[in-house]
Amino acid sequence: MNKFIFILFVLILFLPSFAIAENPSPTPITTVNVHLLGPEKIGNLMPVPVPVNNPQTSLKILLGKQLYFDTRLSASDKVSCASCHNPVMGWSDEGPTSVGHEGKRGGRRAPPVSNAAYSPLQFWDGRAPTLEEQAKGPIENPVEMANTHTAMVRTVNDVPGYVEEFKRVFGTTPITVDQVAEAIASFERTVVTTDSPFDRFVRGDRNALTAEEKKGLEIFNGKGHCTACHWGGYLSDGRFHNLGVAPTDPQKPDEGRYVITNSLADKGAFKTPTIRDAALRAPYMHNGSEKTLEDVVNFYNKGGGNDPNLDPLIVPLGLSKEEVKALVAFLKGAMVSTNPEVADVKPIPSNALPK
Amino acid sequence: MKKLYVLILTLTVLIFLIPDTAHTIPAFARKFGSNCNMCHTSFTKLNDFGQRYRDNGYQIPGQQGLEKNVFDIAPPVSIRTSTGSTIYHTGDRTTFGANIYGFDFLSAGVLHKDVSFLLVYTPRVDEPAADFSGPGPYWRAGSNPSQLGSLESVNLVFSNLVKDKVNVRIGRFEPAYQAFSSKRSYYIFEPYEVYVFNTPNNSFVFNDNQLGLEITGHHRCGFKYGLGVVNGNGANPDNNTYKDYYVNLFQTFGKGDGQSAGQRIGALGYFGYQPTYTSWSFISPTGETNGYNNKTFYRFGGNLSLNWKTFNLQAFFMAGADDKALNSLDTTRSYKYTGGFAQLDCAALFNNRLIASVLYDWVTPPSYDDDRTINAYSALVRYYLGDWTAVNVALHAEFTHKRTGKTDPLKENLFSLLVDFDF
Repeated sequence: MNKFIFILFVLILFLPSFAIAENPSPTPITTVNVHLLGPEKIGNLMPVPVPVNNPQTSLKILLGKQLYFDTRLSASDKVSCASCHNPVMGWSDEGPTSVGHEGKRGGRRAPPVSNAAYSPLQFWDGRAPTLEEQAKGPIENPVEMANTHTAMVRTVNDVPGYVEEFKRVFGTTPITVDQVAEAIASFERTVVTTDSPFDRFVRGDRNALTAEEKKGLEIFNGKGHCTACHWGGYLSDGRFHNLGVAPTDPQKPDEGRYVITNSLADKGAFKTPTIRDAALRAPYMHNGSEKTLEDVVNFYNKGGGNDPNLDPLIVPLGLSKEEVKALVAFLKGAMVSTNPEVADVKPIPSNALPK
Repeated sequence: MKKLYVLILTLTVLIFLIPDTAHTIPAFARKFGSNCNMCHTSFTKLNDFGQRYRDNGYQIPGQQGLEKNVFDIAPPVSIRTSTGSTIYHTGDRTTFGANIYGFDFLSAGVLHKDVSFLLVYTPRVDEPAADFSGPGPYWRAGSNPSQLGSLESVNLVFSNLVKDKVNVRIGRFEPAYQAFSSKRSYYIFEPYEVYVFNTPNNSFVFNDNQLGLEITGHHRCGFKYGLGVVNGNGANPDNNTYKDYYVNLFQTFGKGDGQSAGQRIGALGYFGYQPTYTSWSFISPTGETNGYNNKTFYRFGGNLSLNWKTFNLQAFFMAGADDKALNSLDTTRSYKYTGGFAQLDCAALFNNRLIASVLYDWVTPPSYDDDRTINAYSALVRYYLGDWTAVNVALHAEFTHKRTGKTDPLKENLFSLLVDFDF
């Protein structure tokens, strides 16, 4: 009887394999977007994914960097991408949510630009599929740059220095909004942090982490349940979860991903941010409601917030004070990168921008 | 009478020395790259996350269809083995053993979105057994293996037929009415006595995995249910044409599911049939027999799981009754008994590396069978080794003092020191 059931089971197990083998065009796992299938083991970042229709060139990256720091993209001439995605603030801002056109405050925090190239979808609600699409969004957002694409393009086309550079990069004139977005996205794909102590530890340097950070890593990768969402090299699943974060305005709660998908499962769900360099960009959560990393860990430790649509991944963790301390030490010390090419990015002063 | 005493003693020793096998499946940890404590308070005991993962058909809760299936990963095979020494003492006799006390092959994974499987095979282990007699006459050879070979679990799970609310498990499985899993108990030698207590002329054992179909589900308000139809004859071929039915209900209070956080109460009921006469003529090529004159039996009970910090108290109570026709000890009345256990676990040190637990078990049979009254007191300590990628080797020390019988009880002590290895 046992033998019969075993043989039957093996047949059931392997029949689908035969079916797959007969399929002439299976989708190889290697070509599937890594973020579609996970969790994956945490580790180093892979090379930056670059879309075939927007290859990286050094001139385009430089152009993108100039545009990134140029306030002329905004209606008021006072707001640039860097206003909210500030390199010295972990490529985000001081929060709790971002301030844009004429001091207007948005409902969400600026997601970090660093390593955003690895995110399968952009914005907290994932409404942009690419960095290029993302770059276009804030220009027209009335709370952010409050401009129009038409007006912004007209402004850039009126700058001879830009016209010359765009022509050199793209070979055509006049400048289009797509070209502006592509250049900015190219620059953002260089903002990659790969040299944290954690990265060195994974690459084999057993002394890269302090004893406390090693303990924190152990919690991060198990009892803390962090890797259920913060996995892979990007340390984010790029998916959307409702953590029960208290809304800034309880009368008008932010519905997050639901606004895009209209799926009830997405109500109040926001994209998992990477924890790379998280220590540089307090406060935390989509609305900046948690001031410190200690607060974040304690928030998860008690089982998140209260929400009828709380993600089933969220359960109380039972972390002791010592474990919380170690986990925070790991996040603060081991996850901050020191890549000079990223750490040393300085805003381009307006007088150094194309005229 | 002497023969009966020897039989009881032998059975008791066997129960002691053939430990219950347990499920912990590092293949899952390898699949995700996390360490065991993602799903276990410390292996073998599941935490809330692990319980949700299991309930969701070995898929991360809410992420079904978004993770690799068994065709995308290395074969999901795990091994668990518990090896070490025991000292067994009863009366004026003390014996020392050094054995493999458990050896399991486990495989489980996702075949397709919301379709998964579990297989647990325990191979027969003859040597080194404490008193393995070696090749010899058929009636003696290998009569006392370290571990009996069996296909403990083999089942398919169809999850989320109605999102979260209807999941179906088919095959041989650990039924939901075992509110606290003996398979994932920290205790290796001391079973939950009320789970393994067998009544006269009834082959149903509460602890056994069962063949059949089970439907489980949960609601966000903390309510969880399990319904099942099984053959009621454990891992053995069916012995009658009747099916047994059970229901298990849980309600959780507070955050968590009562495994490692929150508080939980539960109730269970089992209703079954057993034949009073079996012809032993097979009715199928796979060994099923057709028992006659089937009579009913039932089990019902309640349970409680309380959590405070890293302490978890599990309490279980059960009452059972078998039809008088099944009661070979006294055919004028039904066989009634009660039993239960209370277990207090504490996870200590960093990352739950130290587990300490105390357990009290009891079974109270009817007065005319009080030779089988059981009171058992157990304690254990486990210390876990491993690094950030795995916490999967435990140094295990366990002690049990067990008294069987009401007057002049048989007293037994078992002390064990093992390495519990899970890979």
